[in-house]
Amino acid sequence: MLGPHLRETVGGGANTIEPPVPTVHSIADYQRAYADGQRLRGLRSACGFVTATWGLVCPRCGAADLAEVELSGRGRVVALSVQHVPSDEFVNEAPYAYVVVELDEGGRISGWIAGVADEAAVPIGTRVRWSPSYKPGVQFERDPDPAPGGSPP
Amino acid sequence: MRETWVVGAASNRFGKMADSGREGAAKVALQAIESAGLSPRDIGMTFVSNAFGIAERQAHLGPLVNTALGIPEIPSATIESACSSSSAALHEAYVHVAGGFLDAALVVGVEKLSHLDTMTATSYFAIGADYPFEARNGATFPGLYATIASAYRQKYGTPPEELGAVAVKNHANGARNPHAHFQKEISMETYLRSPVIASPLRLYDCCPFSDGAAAIVVAARERISAPAAEPLVIRASVRTGSIADMHDRPGLTGLPATRRAAELAFRAAHLSPKDIQFLEVHDCFTIAEIAALEDLGFYAPGTAGRATVEGETARDGRLPVNPSGGLKAKGHPVSATGASQVVEIFEQFNGVAGGRQVPHAEVALAHNVGATGGSCSVHIFGRR
Repeated sequence: MLGPHLRETVGGGANTIEPPVPTVHSIADYQRAYADGQRLRGLRSACGFVTATWGLVCPRCGAADLAEVELSGRGRVVALSVQHVPSDEFVNEAPYAYVVVELDEGGRISGWIAGVADEAAVPIGTRVRWSPSYKPGVQFERDPDPAPGGSPP
Repeated sequence: MRETWVVGAASNRFGKMADSGREGAAKVALQAIESAGLSPRDIGMTFVSNAFGIAERQAHLGPLVNTALGIPEIPSATIESACSSSSAALHEAYVHVAGGFLDAALVVGVEKLSHLDTMTATSYFAIGADYPFEARNGATFPGLYATIASAYRQKYGTPPEELGAVAVKNHANGARNPHAHFQKEISMETYLRSPVIASPLRLYDCCPFSDGAAAIVVAARERISAPAAEPLVIRASVRTGSIADMHDRPGLTGLPATRRAAELAFRAAHLSPKDIQFLEVHDCFTIAEIAALEDLGFYAPGTAGRATVEGETARDGRLPVNPSGGLKAKGHPVSATGASQVVEIFEQFNGVAGGRQVPHAEVALAHNVGATGGSCSVHIFGRR
């Protein structure tokens, strides 16, 4: 049986009047979403696991009906490394920070922050938000707004 | 299942290899076969690993190696599992021999990357991780292991000297290994002065890009009447996996695939960590050795770095770790690494490890990780 996020593509025919629903069916869809800056999407499993990585079945609990969730792109840094020796796609960005961000909706995502030469500039726990740009991948920036609920990070 | 032995092993010197991968692989393969007192015609199948063959514009290396060895008619298969490719190949050989499908098999791993510049090699290595969801989001290979170091330091307050102690120890071992890429000792001062590559990891936290080739011959005990060298009895051959993306795993301070592999391997061998006399672990970065010693069950979480500083894992310590110099100093020709760990254990068991000979070599463990732990091998070896 298809999961709900897959059902959307097989239900509609030529006569439907509903607009197409943006879905995360392919890795290319994720890449386009990073680039157009409209939505950051992920998948939520029955066990509560949230992932921003493409998949068909939950890697934690095996549930097949992953629900699509919209991610705010806001969260906090849980691990960080300043990259001084980049790969070819980031040749003009080094030094920059590669970060693992825990999103407010749950789940973690890899991303990067431009212009970071010293890891002390982005301590673990720093609040960040998605900052879409023409550059590759999921770019983050420091989030000046308080965390949801008003509590400090 | 049949008792299965490693009966022969050989490695070339890691570093910059003048040979092509194909030549290097065939040469060490023939040496390994001869060290076993066998001839190529005794081999039933070749398991070859060459993850980055594309860097030499060559795939399908098996038939080329077999043809060079004069056994073009036997089957071959390429086994790719990133940095754990040739230990995965060993596992496949083990399964075939122990299961009775082959009497003897050749495992050979080779890599040649030294003709690439650092950025190209860094870009190649990054594709061993999740390209669209890690590498394209800014991760390099050192960057991914650096996040382990970042999370580990956040949790345990690890000072840089604990990472440095791994580098200093493994360089001291590599200085005594004629196969090693780096055969020179380094001081803690040199370590601390080295430039940051991916914070908190410095140059001397990172294994080098190396060329190299290593081969081993696996055979059924019942087919070997008089071994030419002291064989390694394969007491356990375990492969595991885990969620490919590090950020999607429950924690960042270790590798779940290593924990699972150790648990299964010790159970299969009816042994526990206290039975292991020395080990070769996957130290692609210094933090990886510290995490491995904890994940494998030799040290409690947060304590392996301190034990390294205190010399417990040195060649003459309580538990020698990476007497070969490890990936850090012996070098890391990706697909040759897993096989080369077994070459080291074979030489130690045969008492020919020279200045790096460990005092007790009857039970040993080899731990090899694919990429950031999406795959993992643990092998336990004993004496007959």
